[in-house]
Amino acid sequence: MKESRKVLSKSDITKLGLTSSFLQASFNYERMQAGGFTLAMLPFLSKIYKGDKQGLSEAMKNNLDFINTNTNFAGLLMGLLLSLEENNEDRSLIKGLKIALFGPLAGIGDAIFWFTVLPIVAGVCASFAAQGSVLGPIIFFLVYLGIFVLRIVWTHLGYNLGIKAIEKIKTSSQTITKAATILGVTVIGGLIASYVHIDIATQVSISDGHILSIQKDFIDRIFPNILPMGYTLFMLFLLRKKMSPPLLIFGTFAIAILLSGVGIL
Amino acid sequence: MHSITFDQGIWLAVMSIIIGIDFWLESLYIFRPIIVCSVTGWIIGDLQTGLIAGSLTELAFAGLTPAGGTQPPNPVLAGVMTTVIAYTTGVDPKTAIGLALPFSFLMQYIILFYYSCFSFFMVKADQYAEEANVKAFWRLNILTTAIVAATYGIVVFLSTYVAQDSMQVLVSSMPEWLTHGFEIAGGILPAVGFGMLLKVMLKGQYVPYLIIGFVVASFVKFANLLPVALFGTALAMYEYYNSKDKASIVHNNSRKGEDYSEGI
Repeated sequence: MKESRKVLSKSDITKLGLTSSFLQASFNYERMQAGGFTLAMLPFLSKIYKGDKQGLSEAMKNNLDFINTNTNFAGLLMGLLLSLEENNEDRSLIKGLKIALFGPLAGIGDAIFWFTVLPIVAGVCASFAAQGSVLGPIIFFLVYLGIFVLRIVWTHLGYNLGIKAIEKIKTSSQTITKAATILGVTVIGGLIASYVHIDIATQVSISDGHILSIQKDFIDRIFPNILPMGYTLFMLFLLRKKMSPPLLIFGTFAIAILLSGVGIL
Repeated sequence: MHSITFDQGIWLAVMSIIIGIDFWLESLYIFRPIIVCSVTGWIIGDLQTGLIAGSLTELAFAGLTPAGGTQPPNPVLAGVMTTVIAYTTGVDPKTAIGLALPFSFLMQYIILFYYSCFSFFMVKADQYAEEANVKAFWRLNILTTAIVAATYGIVVFLSTYVAQDSMQVLVSSMPEWLTHGFEIAGGILPAVGFGMLLKVMLKGQYVPYLIIGFVVASFVKFANLLPVALFGTALAMYEYYNSKDKASIVHNNSRKGEDYSEGI
């Protein structure tokens, strides 16, 4: 009954890797990335369902369900789904797999690209830029250009693995996410020490000519950067208490201006 | 004191259209402040200010990411305005970050508004899917992206070229303790972003790694963060292979169990 409709070539999958960038073209709160997700696969769905308007319509409607995944890994999912469409798999299987996989992929992708790669690359490149070196933005651009090109690789991977990919992703997603989180958290610890600056300006004069700087003579000697760490953890505490980031940003400004006004910072 | 010329305003708008589309689609990451500030600096003829502003703004925005469907304060407007304000008013880039924030929030709210509005387009998308109307489906997605792109161009032109005089008046009328306060806040601001990253990532089991990264960076002298990243990589690899071994032991045990029952 089910006959395969193998029509997609290798270069089609490479193109899919590039068109996967349309993922967020019509992002909205109702269905998130559904519109762009469908758009990215549309040229290839058209090819698979050539002359079958009913089939194309079904495939388009299927992809218009709510979806929210990682932009870098979207191609992997698209390649996988297209291989199933080509194989003429059951509509409910295709739909089920899409729903089962977009969450884990978003989890791994966000852990790797937003919470691990970004702090590291941003930290390293910012230290170059701070010294006035153009290498900062150039390295940053090249790293992310490389990550962009990798989209083609993920897409081929998803397409070639077909159904086999599902088990693989599900079994290794936790290990990968955990390792990525460890790397990310370590770097954030370093970023807090290097890039959050709080210096107490208050000085205490003990006797004539002897001035004690609370920052230099007290805090820096006992534990440098303890204030930045403390303030970051305080922010974390407030965020966990459901305070909104804009409120914390405004609050930080208010405190900084107040303490600057009275001469403590 | 410098000023933004009409031509520079136009070029900044063109740049923001391209970068705004990139942020909308999240593809090349040229929307990150380190790139936005540097290109802005290059356009207005002060690359050095752009690079310094880029370094500061990038770190202030390190945790303010759109991961998980949330919309952070807009990094494009933050980047453009931090650089432009530092250039036109002569304040320190650290202070300029604070003055750029209202523009960043403004653009964030515009995008949030679009996220809601574009829900109405989904009715059309459903209809085109029903008809298998490929061309109309394309047009719909191009329209939404074009609306966002045009908005970036207009907002940036108004913020940089049109509003620069009032910005200068505002800054020059600020007392010294207030500008100093802004500068202090610019230095503390990354804490909010790092707090947001930790909110997502930090569970009890990861606290040791936060401490290790913090202590290494506090007590070891180095020029950039690469050593800390390598430290983290070593720890991550250790954990990865460790838990992989554990997983395969569990897997083998369960397989043995199955064989046993099948044997019976």
